[in-house]
Amino acid sequence: MLYIHEASCISPQQTFSTIDLEHVTDPVDNKLHVAEPAYGGIPKNMLRRMGKAVRIGVGASLPLLDKISSLNGFIIGTANGGMEESILFLKQIIAYDEGVLTPGSFVQSTANATAAQLSLLTGNRGYNITHVHRGLAFENAVIDAAMMVNENKGTSYLLGGIDDISNYNYKLDYMDGWYKEEEIDGQSFYSTNSAGSIAGEGAAIFLVNDHAQNALAKVKAIKTLHSADPDLIKRAFEGFIKEQQVDLSSCIFLSGENGDSRLLPFYTSCEEILGTDITIARFKHLCGEYPTASAFALWLSCQLLNRLQMPEHMIKKHGSAKQPSSILIYNNHKNAQHSFMLIES
Amino acid sequence: MSRIFVTGVGIISAIGNSLNENHASLLNGKCGISYVNNFPSKYASELPFGAIQTGNDALKDKLGISNPSVTRTTLLAIHAANDAVEDAALTKDELTSADTAFIGATTVGGMCLTDELYRDANENYKESPYLSSYDCASVFLYLQEYYHLNGIIDTINTACSSSANAIMYGARLIKNGLAKRAIVGGADSLSKFTINGFNALHILSDEVCTPFDEGRKGLNLGEGAAFLVLEKEEDVAGKKIYAEVTGYHNTSDAFHPSSLSDNGEGPFLSMQGALRSAQLQPNDIDFINAHGTGTENNDEAESRAMIRIFNTPPPFASTKSNTGHTLGAAGAIESVYSILSIVNQEIYPGLHFTKPIQATGLEPVVVAKQIPVNHVMSNSFGFGGNCTSLIFSKA
Repeated sequence: MLYIHEASCISPQQTFSTIDLEHVTDPVDNKLHVAEPAYGGIPKNMLRRMGKAVRIGVGASLPLLDKISSLNGFIIGTANGGMEESILFLKQIIAYDEGVLTPGSFVQSTANATAAQLSLLTGNRGYNITHVHRGLAFENAVIDAAMMVNENKGTSYLLGGIDDISNYNYKLDYMDGWYKEEEIDGQSFYSTNSAGSIAGEGAAIFLVNDHAQNALAKVKAIKTLHSADPDLIKRAFEGFIKEQQVDLSSCIFLSGENGDSRLLPFYTSCEEILGTDITIARFKHLCGEYPTASAFALWLSCQLLNRLQMPEHMIKKHGSAKQPSSILIYNNHKNAQHSFMLIES
Repeated sequence: MSRIFVTGVGIISAIGNSLNENHASLLNGKCGISYVNNFPSKYASELPFGAIQTGNDALKDKLGISNPSVTRTTLLAIHAANDAVEDAALTKDELTSADTAFIGATTVGGMCLTDELYRDANENYKESPYLSSYDCASVFLYLQEYYHLNGIIDTINTACSSSANAIMYGARLIKNGLAKRAIVGGADSLSKFTINGFNALHILSDEVCTPFDEGRKGLNLGEGAAFLVLEKEEDVAGKKIYAEVTGYHNTSDAFHPSSLSDNGEGPFLSMQGALRSAQLQPNDIDFINAHGTGTENNDEAESRAMIRIFNTPPPFASTKSNTGHTLGAAGAIESVYSILSIVNQEIYPGLHFTKPIQATGLEPVVVAKQIPVNHVMSNSFGFGGNCTSLIFSKA
């Protein structure tokens, strides 16, 4: 069992330091960019060399690093971390025709740069790993963290999901049909009935260990799947709920619905088996679509199970429970990679 | 927790397209590092590389793949994974079962198509077959579909220690009961991107690399793929068993984004941790397949760390002098070589060595030898300080 003790998030919304989800920032040009803080705790010479993914990843980690005396490592999930730096280096290669190049952006271009910078910044020689399996990069990081605390009782880790919008990944995914052609405002996000979503980014970081006492939340179960078949996903979801004996009457279904009409059947077929008591809520209008958006959903779950009153704009269907005791997250990335997470208070 | 055994291996590298070819090349001290033809980089004619001579068309023909979006990294991965799956005699049901995990590692992924990426993103080339082929995950998402896999699938990128971490992650999934078996390893292909990156860092040698030699001038990049099939003790009765995965440890050097600390603190801790997890003493290790890239920094730091752990280190060598540095594939390729040492009770030499590093005085093995081999350590250290050591033992 994985217990979450602290959670920190840099997102397009006001989620860092002061949390305010009543006032929503809408997308601009179909992109939801993060609101970056001042990064007081990162040395200036380090900050200057960091790409955006590394910057928001390290930035979101800093408040947690201040709160702990011993940490046993960093477990990061990122699909595109380093993409922006890769492109800077690629441009150099082309511009100087493979001539004399400066290596800075090459070194920062590797996906493990965030975990590496965090270990450098803290002098931490513990476990250090970066999972990059696109839409399941964060989920694999969660599985890894759950195994680490099981294997090494009493240890604590920073677990994170981080991705940024770079011009290149936006362009490639846009050409591949994953972002909408028409411009979307915040209000019509879920009702466009067209293919594609809007781009998002963010860094959500968690302090995790195996201590139940005073935890914000626990990740009770996680399951990952690869499929393009809504029926198979529905059956797997049903099996997951049964196996975990989820009490649907005091549960929130946090749906990864993203305005893409091609993905909607997966979400609606999962909703069909949830009964009438459950609250159905959505979050992608807050963070946009990106491969590790499930990390934002997990951060949101930690808030909803504690102090945050569910904002009305998140609710798709009201349920009967006043105070939820568990949250079921289902996320679908590009019609191919799926995950279920059960979060309990 | 269960003991984990290796029941199948597959490999393709600059010294052979099969396990047998690689074994023969190691015994004969074959060096696969040379100049490459038909490679779209100006360094192709200036610097030597550990290239696989089989081209993409020949690989596609052999593997029966016609999908235009498949990259060289993916082709190499399938070539090696096919061999591993066949070697372990996994049935189709076992392969597609929800308790079969597949953990891949790569650092280059689809970025081997360096020029195509630049074109696609700058010219709005919507017809490109590669739009979803550039990231690291694309390699193993393709393999997931190719084999119809249904278990836990992951892609790991910790730079040059990536596939050592994939092996460790797969073993841990089995020990934690999240998989019954795991196919683990990595693949990387030569790319204009990495060639220019390592060149900008001034760590590419313009000659064939000389690991652990006083006069070493840097590394040679290589390409390749290797996969292992891991199964737990309860399931291996009657099967061919190559070796046991007895130890692993991952640690961060926490020193510098692209070089190791002088006294090799990260390497020291990863070797020490692997010994601890295998419940072995330093003098139990019969051979070390060193990371040994041939750079000024790595070989001296790794030597210092070996001396700190072992006092007098056991026989060691770096097979990067045969294959070049295959980055995300290196940990898996060198694990296969470590396993060959155990299976055949022999150790393989490092090539091109003439004079020990003055500061440390360590000499790698220079001729193949038959010796009793019970435990082999394999080291992999990557940019960002990612250090992982694995230990394989005679089953």
